[in-house]
Amino acid sequence: MCSLGPVKLTRPLERVLRVLTADPAARHYGYDLMKAAKLPSGTLYPMLARLEQEGLVEAEWEAQRPDAGGRPPRKYYRLTAEGARVARLELAQAAVPDRRVAPGTARPAHGSTQ
Amino acid sequence: MTAMPRVQRIAEGLIRASGRRLPDEERAERCREWSAELPAILYDESVHPDLMRSVRALSYSAGIAVTTRRLSRAARLPRRAPGSAWRDGAISARPGNLGLRATIGLASWLVIIFTTVSLLRAFPHPGGWPVVLGLGLAGAFVVFCLADIVRAPAVRYLPKWAWALICAVQIPGGGIIYLSVGRVGRSPSLPPGSAQSR
Repeated sequence: MCSLGPVKLTRPLERVLRVLTADPAARHYGYDLMKAAKLPSGTLYPMLARLEQEGLVEAEWEAQRPDAGGRPPRKYYRLTAEGARVARLELAQAAVPDRRVAPGTARPAHGSTQ
Repeated sequence: MTAMPRVQRIAEGLIRASGRRLPDEERAERCREWSAELPAILYDESVHPDLMRSVRALSYSAGIAVTTRRLSRAARLPRRAPGSAWRDGAISARPGNLGLRATIGLASWLVIIFTTVSLLRAFPHPGGWPVVLGLGLAGAFVVFCLADIVRAPAVRYLPKWAWALICAVQIPGGGIIYLSVGRVGRSPSLPPGSAQSR
């Protein structure tokens, strides 16, 4: 399993992956990612949903903190171990044009994660 | 700064409205996630001036509408066999209620005209950004209607090019007439996925 499977590596996805792989352990909330990857919400969230479905990204709710000043808890996204591996590989391949593995060759069916 | 809570309420309302497209089990959590981002946008110290933050929050909510549309499409499409036609008469079978739709259209047109006239009376010489804002809104509305016509699988009563012409010639009346009368909205009588198929 060395590709994003049914998820095609588009420019916006590449930017999101770059942000996420910069520090794979870091948690990002949506607006944070929007700013860092310079993407509109209408592009980012469908992408996150797909990555989450593929098991490449995991989401978790922030615990309610008393010092948050009444701010509602946010949902944070982070690469899974599998996601970090796949993302690094894809980005490395994207950096070398013409040597890309065709998407979908390594993973047979949509939604067959882990 | 005082406008922020109001903008936040509007944006939350938009997010809730967009969330209605999602299946029940997803809706609450998604809306909670997206609404929770609004304070971060509205009180983002790195963005100046305040107006810009409001614009960002509203365009964020607009992006949520795009998101829910894509998510619901992605969830629905696999259920439809590829290449299968949608059920015959799915559109014509939809209860038309032309009178009600035409009334709603006329009413919204009157409201817009009335508001415009009273605004023009209140500010006899509007200059600068109100004019730009008004023209921008009008332009955005026309573009929205045209895009909707192009993307729709079918429209009612008139051919697509005729609706497009009406929308472009009479602003905003044509667009309102199209949205209230000519548009085939999503409805339970349409099979899943067909409302988005091109």
